Amino acid sequence: MDLTIQRRFVTPMAGESVQDIAARALPGEPLDSAVDQIRSWNLHIFAMRKPAGLILGSDVVFVEPPRR
Amino acid sequence: MFDVIVRNGLVVDGSGEAGFRGDVAVKNGLIAAVGTVSGSARREIDAGGRVVAPGFIDPHTHFDVQLLWDGAARPALEHGVTCIVPGNCSLSLAPLKAADRPKVVGMFQQIEEMPPEAFTQAFDWTWEDFAGYRDAIARNLSINVAPLVGHSVIRLWVMGEAAQQRTATPDEVAAMQDVLRECLKAGAVGLSTSFVDLDEHGRPVPSRFADFPELDALSAVLGEFGRMLQCVPEFYDVDITIARIDQLSELSLKHGIPTTFSPVFDNTSTPDNAPRILARVEEQFARGARVWPQMQTRPIDISFSLLRPSLFFARLPRWVRVLRQPLEARLHALNDPETVAKMVEDLGADGGQRMMGGLIVRGGDAAPAQMVGRALGEIAAERGQVPAQALIDISLEHGLDVAFLAADMGHEATDRIGPMLAHPLVHIGASDGGAHIASFSTYGDTGYLFSEFVRKSGGLSLEQAVRKITAETADIWGLEGRGRLTPGHAADIVIFDPDTIDRGEERPVFDMPGEGMRYVRDARGIDTVLVNGEVAYTAGAYTEARSGVVCT
Repeated sequence: MDLTIQRRFVTPMAGESVQDIAARALPGEPLDSAVDQIRSWNLHIFAMRKPAGLILGSDVVFVEPPRR
Repeated sequence: MFDVIVRNGLVVDGSGEAGFRGDVAVKNGLIAAVGTVSGSARREIDAGGRVVAPGFIDPHTHFDVQLLWDGAARPALEHGVTCIVPGNCSLSLAPLKAADRPKVVGMFQQIEEMPPEAFTQAFDWTWEDFAGYRDAIARNLSINVAPLVGHSVIRLWVMGEAAQQRTATPDEVAAMQDVLRECLKAGAVGLSTSFVDLDEHGRPVPSRFADFPELDALSAVLGEFGRMLQCVPEFYDVDITIARIDQLSELSLKHGIPTTFSPVFDNTSTPDNAPRILARVEEQFARGARVWPQMQTRPIDISFSLLRPSLFFARLPRWVRVLRQPLEARLHALNDPETVAKMVEDLGADGGQRMMGGLIVRGGDAAPAQMVGRALGEIAAERGQVPAQALIDISLEHGLDVAFLAADMGHEATDRIGPMLAHPLVHIGASDGGAHIASFSTYGDTGYLFSEFVRKSGGLSLEQAVRKITAETADIWGLEGRGRLTPGHAADIVIFDPDTIDRGEERPVFDMPGEGMRYVRDARGIDTVLVNGEVAYTAGAYTEARSGVVCT
């Protein structure tokens, strides 16, 4: 059975920063824009967490906006 | 000669098949015969008019510490629960080096709302490894225990302080695999991890610093034993929960392991969320993955007073900081106008009307009778205050000993929950038994299953409900020889009245170490509970039987 398409995500690799993740996940985008998008799609990491932006090894990092 | 014969009951054997009138005979701790049993026994129990079922299994508890002074996990056993799974959410009491005990106690306090006295006043902490913990609880068990080992404590054991700072090196991952292997050999039924929890300092727990390759490596060890991976996902966000389902499914398929996540809540304000989660679970099961969503039966509510910290204030960090202080400092802060003004301000422009206006004054030794049962918003309006200010002032006026109830916080729509609980892929669990003890009762979910979803709504048949919390749970967890009334299976048996089985009213008791308070619910309609063939509870009282085991 095929899986329905759900919101795409990546998981951080050891030592990765948001810039690293943005460059990996959105290679066609200018880096600043890619970082802004990653941040805006992952408020659970970049807004609601204290300290904001602390990236954990176990994080789910979305690489696209919500689908609905 | 049998040891026990339970006669003339409606035997609901856990298979889901229709119940039948008959007898159940027990010998040497095992079911010896089911049907019409001739012969005699040292003890015969008349179950006329009652259901005779396998003992219930509770797959999500935090009785880890309580088991050290209370081998019955009271009041779980009197609700018919004969087997519990502690060690959930990445936390267990082993393996744990002595120097790391304060850290883990702090996590239990923060995450599970366990009082510190529970860890210091009621037992001698003599073990460090998992086998030592197993032996410490095994001495006094009336209930069966199938313990998980926590990912956070394994990380602490191997990495020390770095467990809460970074991902692990390959050598550290290999060391964690060895530790997990030892725990599984010593009786752990799986590994628990958490993607959401914070310690008492607000730092993510160690398991959250693990990257996916670490979890993959640990799951490979679980695969060697065919054991469970349990996790608590970001249950408040459906997209992240679905991502976790996909991760768990990959691990399940790759390593041939069962996985489970909890909780799954239904909320009528976000009615699509739970169905979306279940739809993803169905898709993953269709691929061959085993990714069991745990759903609790009871609605969500929280009781609290300002005498102690509460989950209710989890999203109000300033309130948490104030209420975590010792009593004298807490009173000082609550009497400080500047501090209180900021606390009220934290509630937003409505002064807490939305969050606190519907709170019900539920009592407490000092609660004024004229307020009990009334809404805080209404009382606040009479006082010319906003609810947040009224809550603080009323509490101060009565020595902080006024309890408030936040009712109907979700998961309360019986007509929606019933079909979900009946879903063949939904694992009934997530009771959190033994945790959050000063916020709500985590006991009696099984009674509520029968009273609300069998008798009242008819969402599940009697046989279906029994199967969900007995044979099905045993199968999901690989608890061989449990969960069925079948010859050769363990004689874990509950005898109950199908017309009255229920959970009692929530009430505070002061039976924790240091006279600590917790909310409990008494059992209704449970006549007798046998654990491994011994009567552990009957006629409203616990017996001296200590027949519980650490089961695998």
